[in-house]
Amino acid sequence: MDFELSQDHKVLRDSVRDFVEKEIKPIARKIDEEHMIPDALVAKMGEMGLLGSYFPDEYGGAGLDMLSYAIVVEEVSKACGSSGVLISAHTSLCCGPIYTFGSEEQKKKWLPDLNTGKILGCFLLTEPEAGSDAGSLTTSYRKEGDEYVINGSKIFITNGGYRGTGVIFATSDRSLKHKGISAFIVDLKSPGVEILRNENKMGIRGSYTTAFAFDGVRVPAENLLGKEGEGFKIAMDTLNGGRIGIAAQALGIAEGAFERALAYSRERKQFGHPICENQAIQFKLADMYAKIETSKLMTYKAACLKDQKKSYTMESALCKMLASEAATYVTKEALQIHGGYGFICDYEVERMYRDAKITEIYEGTNEVQRVIISKMLLQ
Amino acid sequence: MKLLVCVKQVPDLESRFKPDPSGQWYSETDLAFRINEYDDYAVEQAVRLREQLGDAAELTVLSVGPDRVVEVLKKALAMGCDRAVHVQDPAPHLKDPWQIASIIAAYARSQQYDLIFTGFQSQDRGSAQIGPTIAELLGYACTTTLVGFSFADGVVTATRELEGGLKGVVKMKLPALVTCQLGLNVPRYPTLPNIMKAKKKELETVPVANLLQEETRIATESFYAPEKKGGGMVLEGDVTELVNRVYAILKEKTPALRQ
Repeated sequence: MDFELSQDHKVLRDSVRDFVEKEIKPIARKIDEEHMIPDALVAKMGEMGLLGSYFPDEYGGAGLDMLSYAIVVEEVSKACGSSGVLISAHTSLCCGPIYTFGSEEQKKKWLPDLNTGKILGCFLLTEPEAGSDAGSLTTSYRKEGDEYVINGSKIFITNGGYRGTGVIFATSDRSLKHKGISAFIVDLKSPGVEILRNENKMGIRGSYTTAFAFDGVRVPAENLLGKEGEGFKIAMDTLNGGRIGIAAQALGIAEGAFERALAYSRERKQFGHPICENQAIQFKLADMYAKIETSKLMTYKAACLKDQKKSYTMESALCKMLASEAATYVTKEALQIHGGYGFICDYEVERMYRDAKITEIYEGTNEVQRVIISKMLLQ
Repeated sequence: MKLLVCVKQVPDLESRFKPDPSGQWYSETDLAFRINEYDDYAVEQAVRLREQLGDAAELTVLSVGPDRVVEVLKKALAMGCDRAVHVQDPAPHLKDPWQIASIIAAYARSQQYDLIFTGFQSQDRGSAQIGPTIAELLGYACTTTLVGFSFADGVVTATRELEGGLKGVVKMKLPALVTCQLGLNVPRYPTLPNIMKAKKKELETVPVANLLQEETRIATESFYAPEKKGGGMVLEGDVTELVNRVYAILKEKTPALRQ
């Protein structure tokens, strides 16, 4: 067992780190305040290859592996959780299912523009009445000639505001429950696709979270992903992989906050000495670091298992749960270490504190992760 | 046309340095390493020239050091170098600049490079001797501290940084060696697809013993942190008073306000 990153992964990490230091870190606060990741930054992330890291170069990807992808999301999220989730949702939840379940024609048609960042991707599963219980979704489809017609609404769609490419889930017959669900690739500029709103949120404010209405949206039959009735399976498999991305995002947020808290605890003097000389602060730092390291090991393990084409359902649930809970804990303590300054926007830990919370909720709430883990233990 | 760029891996300068057990150099424990800043400019300039010349040129990147230096070679390959040479030396810090320059010159002599790029100095040792010494050993023309570079019709036109904010322009025929300074260019980021492609590029490994013929001429006696000086001055009072006092201090203790 070797816990060292390979030299290739270190080169990747350092390159992404340099990119993040110069291109993202200086504008992370602006991204939060203006609720917007600048198009110029998205374009640069595309040129850098951050939007197609683990897909083969024949589909416009960088041809790297899942561990590289986790490192990319982690490094970006250290500076900006919004940019981290943009990459994660785009890669895991849109490019991922097209690559895994798409036909050769579908991959050739959709992936190159997605992987190079010309078009951003999203995943349209959640509905107002179908969150954790995704099988009860009501967005419907029917076949008309060589087209499918989709009607319904979707909410909380990360990257939705870009109106790029989506993988959408709809049912032919609600009485069939899970078995009635199919997945389609949809161009979100199609007639009948309406953005109802981009949500105003507590955290990851630079990332779009969009509510859509689909009113008689016509999708060519060739856009069916997999077979009819396979949608639920595709959704679950996709979320399984996506959890590694969200774990990496949460890990990055935690590391970003920890780095600042550690530095601040050395600089800040009270009662004539740096506050890091107080055991109360030292214990916080030790607990924070322990949670970060545990999450990192599990996140990298899940990514490596996926790379080795081994089962990783348990590990992806574990890493998502551990890393998101590390993120909320570490950002809370980082803010506390900063004292009153931590509550001031200039010090950035308050943004990280706000950004961290969602990682316990999306891509399967942590309660759902515990269901997955315990089910696997007891089956 | 054959091009060579020499790179060194150095510790991140924001690290906390401690002497190693011998007291002659820093301990590597817990240090993060990266490419020497000035060598990054050298790689970028060499890659730009390689792109300008197209397939008529081949660009090799070389580094001397332990296995970890392969990381900077891979970075340079991902930036656009064609092949890499790793001169394996587990303890290059025990060699003096004369030996390191001799090792690189010995390799370069066998390859007949037309143009060699180096950083103008390393960030850790900072001797600034390697580039000019290689040029001297090979009998190449040499220009140091470049802030501008162009190449046309077999002639290198180099802009150099001089003292006092002045600049000078030097023209050189090949073969030549240039050392690169901050301000020459903005190095590109290795993109993910290029990091992947770099994995397939040639990486030659040469044991340092095959190239080392010279004895050391300089030995580092000790490595230590300078003694801490007294704390800084803290001035208090109203703004007008503070300005006057800062002005007086700057005038008395620094050259900032002298004419």
